[in-house]
Amino acid sequence: MFLPIALFGYFALGRFSNLAPVIWLVLASLAFYAVSSWQFVALLLASIAFNHLVGWLLIAYRLRSGVRFAVLTAGVAGDLLVLCYFKYAGFLAANLNALFSTGLSVNVLLPVGISFYTFTQIAFLVDAYRGKVAHYALPHYALFVTYFPHLIAGPILHHKDMIPQFEAAESKSPNPHLILCGLMIFAIGLFKKTGLADSIQPLVSLAFSPEASPSFDQAWIGALAYTFQLYFDFSGYSDMAIGISLMFGIFLPLNFNSPYKATSIIDFWRRWHMTLSRFLRDYLYIPMGGNRHGRLLRYVNLMITMVLGGLWHGAAWTFVAWGALHGVYLCINHAWNHFGPAVAPRFARVADIAAWILTFLAVVIAWVFFRADSMASALSVLSKMADPTQIVFGRGEMANAMFVMIYAALAWFAPNTQEIMGYDHINRTVGETLGAWSRRPAFLYASAAVLAFGILGIQQHSEFIYFRF
Amino acid sequence: MIRKSGYRFSTGQTQSVCPETMLKQMSNAAKNLLRFLGAGGLIMAAAVVLNFVVDPLQLFRPARLFAAMYSQDSRMQDAGLIRGQDFDTVFMGTSLALHFRQSDIDRVLGVHSLKLSLNGSTSVEQNFVLAAALERHPKRVLWEIDDWIFQDAPDIDSNTHLPANFYRGNARGFAEYLFSGAMARESAWILARSIPLIEKPVAWLTTGVLFKFPISRVDDINVLRPGFDVAGTYNAKRAMAAFRHVTDPDRSAYLADGAGYDMRVRNFERDMAGLIAAHPDVTFDIYYPPYSILQWVAMRDASPQTFEQVYNFTAYVSRRLTSFPNVRLYDFREAKDVTHDLNNYADVVHHAYD
Repeated sequence: MFLPIALFGYFALGRFSNLAPVIWLVLASLAFYAVSSWQFVALLLASIAFNHLVGWLLIAYRLRSGVRFAVLTAGVAGDLLVLCYFKYAGFLAANLNALFSTGLSVNVLLPVGISFYTFTQIAFLVDAYRGKVAHYALPHYALFVTYFPHLIAGPILHHKDMIPQFEAAESKSPNPHLILCGLMIFAIGLFKKTGLADSIQPLVSLAFSPEASPSFDQAWIGALAYTFQLYFDFSGYSDMAIGISLMFGIFLPLNFNSPYKATSIIDFWRRWHMTLSRFLRDYLYIPMGGNRHGRLLRYVNLMITMVLGGLWHGAAWTFVAWGALHGVYLCINHAWNHFGPAVAPRFARVADIAAWILTFLAVVIAWVFFRADSMASALSVLSKMADPTQIVFGRGEMANAMFVMIYAALAWFAPNTQEIMGYDHINRTVGETLGAWSRRPAFLYASAAVLAFGILGIQQHSEFIYFRF
Repeated sequence: MIRKSGYRFSTGQTQSVCPETMLKQMSNAAKNLLRFLGAGGLIMAAAVVLNFVVDPLQLFRPARLFAAMYSQDSRMQDAGLIRGQDFDTVFMGTSLALHFRQSDIDRVLGVHSLKLSLNGSTSVEQNFVLAAALERHPKRVLWEIDDWIFQDAPDIDSNTHLPANFYRGNARGFAEYLFSGAMARESAWILARSIPLIEKPVAWLTTGVLFKFPISRVDDINVLRPGFDVAGTYNAKRAMAAFRHVTDPDRSAYLADGAGYDMRVRNFERDMAGLIAAHPDVTFDIYYPPYSILQWVAMRDASPQTFEQVYNFTAYVSRRLTSFPNVRLYDFREAKDVTHDLNNYADVVHHAYD
């Protein structure tokens, strides 16, 4: 019900003014946020006001460079302090307790989406400092932060990408083509979530539930099932966000590009949670020096970036381990590119396949840390995965393995959403490759079926994995 | 077509910006949008029809068109059993009631029973399911009770595992049932299973994990699978291993589960005593199952207060239950020949069949 009302109000107001629909969407987004987290609306508004003010100081005033830097530092530090308080205070207290038995107890609820809206705004402040931003009006800036399709779990938006779109007049009149394409992308995303990710969930708990004591094959089936569950869950969410946004005529950035087809870890990070990778690269890795200060420092910077990226997902040692593991993978990958032998052209294909399998296995092993409730549980599952003497492989395991293979085939060989829909974020086009719609009625009806199955699959109690981050 | 801002949308090959073509294209896209929404609606309707016709839970009628299939998921399956089965006796409990088959109960007691026990259930769940079953006026209730079920639990509508509205049989429940894609998947699966040519592979793939209706006889719900390794599961070695596991200082906290005496009494009065008092015409046969002696040893060592609480609580429950004229109480925890022979157990509480 929310979506049709938001759409209708947006386009109705768009007939009269260019600004009114923007304000309408801000209010709608705040209402959307308030339904699930009313107690944090004030925090969200305060964060917007604070960052807009700091940005305005940086953009509008000719401050001396020392003062400018101080203002930026204050802004970024303010954002990070709030994020740290809400996200990491409990973790810090627990670790202090473990180390010094202090008996500290911190109980802070995590405001939904705080990781995402903090990051988008830090990027804005840094760019304002670098002098790469013109002044944004408050309504457009507020919409950039609160825009409801992305507010809760990304993609992490970039102000330069979004605000010009919010300012443009075209998007404010309804475009049936964009609405249809948006619905189709939304349908694919919803189906990925409710039809694919939710259905494979039971296999994941076979390996990861606290009571489980999986055998070699069961542990692998569980780890692989989680690998695909997470992908279909999160990329499904991203598709839905892109689809909903497209109905408003706004193009959101892509967040996934078939990550499990990657043939190296570097490649994987260009395909998985792309907006986060880009953020970490532009606002953490490169400011730290990136690869400009020699090979050794480059590896150090990579490790720091990945560990912090892991910690961003949640305050737990499992996420640190996951980030560190990917950091190590990346270092090995870069070192191999540098020192490894060149592949003879006639073996290129074989090498690609080997690299693809190796990359995939490395990613699966890292996901075990990402999924497990504790380090002990992660290590226990990994030890089962490394112990081929314990094999059950009965009828249940065979059937489950078959289901996992279906998911694998989809993730490995099927075209992804943007390939199916011809979604081109940079050129702001969608559906170009499809040709005339009338010649493809089957496609239309197939995607309608996907939408129907997606809606039917909605379970009352299923939530997106990435809402927690 | 390229608009001023470089903001394009697909129009096939057309390059002109003439308003007429634009209108035509717009209306074409609009037509497609309507077709898309219409088709989506129709397909959802088809799923509803499929769920209604196959009716995997037998909420609307006993299975006739297709062979009945049952789920191991008792919290969901019981809703269909209560509506679809004939019975004069119901059996409630936790996993401790695992070994009792309806056919055995019928043979021994000369009744027509329906087993509704829920693994790992709380008194709130047991009360809700039993209350639904009692609306069909059985004469007798067999009830296996554990002290730990009387803990504070979320109310039945926030219980994610138990579809409360299926039991209530209200419009919302039927809508949830008919519009459920998961149920439509099961319906399609049961439908596929009725096609002789593919019956075998479909049955082979139905393991109860992804497709949840693997059981073809009511009697086989919630019992050990045929061919289950009984000797390998129920023996003193396993029981002692479990004892060591639960008494490990890292884990033994659960023995002192915090379910204080007052909380247990309050929940007992609401969920058990309340239900019994409301059905004076129904006979309640209630029994304490024979936990192994290890359970008490573990509890005594890990948390003497809990041990004392459970002891006092049992005394309270026994006094209260025996005060009802329609209750008969059986205590198997004092059957020393059972509880002291560890070969009867798979862990510190779960006993074997015989």
